[in-house]
Amino acid sequence: MNRRSFIKFSALTGTSATLASCGNPEYHLIRFIPEDRLVAGIAVWKPSICPLCSAGCGLTVRVMEGDAEVIRDGKLGVTKMGLAKKLEGDPQNPINQGKLCTRGQAAMEVTYHPDRLGHPLKRAGSRGDGKFEEITWDQAMAELTGKLDALAAAGNQKSLAILTRPQRGARGAVLAEFANRFGAAAPLAFEFFGNDVIRRANEMSFGKAQLPTLDLAESQFVISFGADFLGTWNSPVAQNVGYGQMRQGRPGMRGKFVQVEYRMSQSGANADEWVPVKPGTEGVLALGIANAIMKQGTRKASDAGHAGTLVDGWMTGLADHTPQEVEKKTGVTAARIERLAKEFSGQKPAVAIIAGAAVAQTNGLFNALAVNALNALVGSVETAGGIYFTPQPANLGTGTNFAKNGEIGAGAQVLFVDGANPVFASPKAWKVKEAISAVPYIVSFGNFIDETSVMADLILPDHSFLESWVQSAPESGAKTAVSMMAPPVMRPLHDTRATGDVLLEVSKKLAKPLNMPWQKFEDAVKEQPGGNAGRSPLPKPAPAQAAKYAEPQFDGDAGQYGFHFLPYPSIAFLDGSLAHLPLLQELPDPMSSAIWSSWVEINMQTADKMGIRQGDLVEITSSQGSIRVPAFPSPGIAPDVIAMPVGQGHENYTRYASGRGANPIEILAPVKEPETGSLAWAATRVKIAKAADADGRLVLFAGSLRDYPPEGMHR
Amino acid sequence: MTHRWGMAVDLDRCTGCEACVTACRTENNVRIAGPEESAKGRSIAWIRVERYYEGDFPDVRVKFRPVMCQQCDAAPCEPVCPTYASHHSEEGLNAQIYNRCIGTRYCANACPYNVRFFNFGNPVWDRPLDLPLNPDVSVREVGVVEKCTFCTQRISAGKDQAKAEGRELRDGEIKPACVQSCPTSALVFGDLNDPESAVSMLSRSSRGTKLMDDLGTQPKVTYLKKEY
Ligand code: SF4
Ligand code: SF4
Repeated sequence: MNRRSFIKFSALTGTSATLASCGNPEYHLIRFIPEDRLVAGIAVWKPSICPLCSAGCGLTVRVMEGDAEVIRDGKLGVTKMGLAKKLEGDPQNPINQGKLCTRGQAAMEVTYHPDRLGHPLKRAGSRGDGKFEEITWDQAMAELTGKLDALAAAGNQKSLAILTRPQRGARGAVLAEFANRFGAAAPLAFEFFGNDVIRRANEMSFGKAQLPTLDLAESQFVISFGADFLGTWNSPVAQNVGYGQMRQGRPGMRGKFVQVEYRMSQSGANADEWVPVKPGTEGVLALGIANAIMKQGTRKASDAGHAGTLVDGWMTGLADHTPQEVEKKTGVTAARIERLAKEFSGQKPAVAIIAGAAVAQTNGLFNALAVNALNALVGSVETAGGIYFTPQPANLGTGTNFAKNGEIGAGAQVLFVDGANPVFASPKAWKVKEAISAVPYIVSFGNFIDETSVMADLILPDHSFLESWVQSAPESGAKTAVSMMAPPVMRPLHDTRATGDVLLEVSKKLAKPLNMPWQKFEDAVKEQPGGNAGRSPLPKPAPAQAAKYAEPQFDGDAGQYGFHFLPYPSIAFLDGSLAHLPLLQELPDPMSSAIWSSWVEINMQTADKMGIRQGDLVEITSSQGSIRVPAFPSPGIAPDVIAMPVGQGHENYTRYASGRGANPIEILAPVKEPETGSLAWAATRVKIAKAADADGRLVLFAGSLRDYPPEGMHR
Repeated sequence: MTHRWGMAVDLDRCTGCEACVTACRTENNVRIAGPEESAKGRSIAWIRVERYYEGDFPDVRVKFRPVMCQQCDAAPCEPVCPTYASHHSEEGLNAQIYNRCIGTRYCANACPYNVRFFNFGNPVWDRPLDLPLNPDVSVREVGVVEKCTFCTQRISAGKDQAKAEGRELRDGEIKPACVQSCPTSALVFGDLNDPESAVSMLSRSSRGTKLMDDLGTQPKVTYLKKEY
């Protein structure tokens, strides 16, 4: 096998400028031994974990030998190495069972992205202008330790702030321990489409502050209130696997599926029955169904147990929520409510799900409590075909500490940003950008320049997930606790370092070392998670006052702002964090077939009345500002609603996403769900007007506007 | 016994999630056209998920339908090709030989399913996005037509593996990338010459239909209709 230990090296034109500080690359042989397990042309399979969403699906990665340009000791050369070629679902994994979603399939591009950051960077221009210079890791570490030592010397440890995405497992543990030992506040997690309301409701109803695992494979009747469980919410692969089984996996048996929502999601598109409701009235509809079930006599109020007591009037039969009353509020006819009640209580097992816009209202918590009570009424909690709460490893927090206005950076002297992009994904009114600008020193561990990391003074780019130890213990997706870890699949392509290792090294280098419990990140990975819990009965939830229905509140006067505005997670980009991947930019949206575009969905008749045709540029204005985006008239949306996928509209996020489309988050009003304080992202009203420019640059895979006459195309 | 590869698509399982679409792209080195070329209708997808809206608000329904090359037994794309680039293989597959293709595009015009794509330029992968290209699949250059192959490289690999182990192929052992990834198991692949194979049994389902069967193309993909 001598041939394979032969190492090629070459000078690459165009790179000498960036490498000037590292000497002359032509004269350096890269001593990098290829992996001996690899034989040219023969694939080996290695385990890993999909990092793109919190579902944490297990991967098997196809690895083959190939030639790659790599950087070692600051020198660039070409070497033979094992390269990840394709990601597949791990058939052994109880969550994704050998399958992956479309995003997981594209996760490869994170590693090989041409705009991935390959070296430590130091700000060279004024903050936010995107000018950085390359520095060595030694310089970078010295710089970071210096800043932290200065904080400690001034007794100012509290002014270190850490902002992450929700992190479960080793990475979160290292960050939290670092903060703790240094004397800083616990890291704040930032997630636009967070699940805080659902977790709070589940804690109140069932004593579990966590997302449910849906046992769809066994269900006979599924009613979902706004949850896009087949597209983007919770554990989509696991839920699709179960859904396929529910529909056609049991001979002679086919589960029915009803979706309640006011804009047809990809999930809703699969429903046998699609039930549009007025925004924010999902919980009332659930109570109308519960009222009818109780009246039909198949279940009594007390069957719902504790979850029922949390809803005002439940124990006395929900007298205020007769189908007739509920019809007035929701727009769903009393007859339909009664029929749904019969089906829901008559089919066993039946399950209700709530997520999405239904909980992103000012009364979101109430809506979730109402649906929880409905589930409890028919006995679908912790039973086959219903919802389960996956046992959680003892040392993993599930709460997300949502970062809100003013919390980010208030009083911070040094800010660590780990994978979160709140400058993009928060309403303008939160003034996150201003808050972050006020922090004297910002360190980012991201792999890419985005709207938040561009503000950094120091960037310490992480390995990609394929290049580092990975570990995950997903909150939901399988009935049993799942915990997985995997070593690196391939060697790093760039001069990056695993963030866990960087923090551990810094902790040793500080003037007052932190004595972290791990030497290397690998140690933390191997230790997590401890004490896997077995299944145990649900704990007794704390008593709480019964919640009363309150009308949802919307920002913007209904007369002036005639439309409800619904931003929704895009199948391709989720909250926008995946807009940098070309595979996902060119993925046709399931509902519109749009690629490389932004668009706003508007009811067809409404569009006709306003003279808006497919592709026409529309101006959307809320009390917070306006954006312009091409129209996509659709029958699957209520006449007084417009909806827009989140994800495009990046100012600064690689060559593929920058300057493309518009960001609906920008114009959201800072309305909150009062109990949890999380953003009610479906509670903004807007007005729309046709903009002067005719061409909105909407590209559809099923025929682009430039090549097809727009008239009649929308059918 | 020779094989006759076919597929069944259960539309009652398909949720339009498009896992298949990206799985196919990454497996088969299908190029990214980019925004400008895409706007000219030049984005390539060997498998696409079509959507059909029925009715008006509030009584709306949508049906999804994944469409790939139907591997017709009487393939209209074959007789029109002057160079035999589009031809029938022994195992019943409609195969495209790229280096015979001279880009007349007669085949793409003849195909009633609109699943053949022409390369209007050479593909570009911004480095290092070229590194994960699949070495088992050739990259198509300007002037040739391409389409779904049922992942012929996986079929060969599966047959080789069985041969090396001195055994018959097992049903379900060979999975094209779309089938492997499909979370709902809407897509099933296998040998239509084996009456016991999963795909044969599904193809005989009373829910089964073929796309535009009346054209006489004899597709080897069976669609099982959505139930309500
Ligand atoms: S659902 Fe998709 S993105 Fe999320 S972890 Fe699984 S494969 Fe990755
Ligand atoms: S992967 Fe399966 S469920 Fe998803 S769109 Fe394709 S065929 Fe349908």
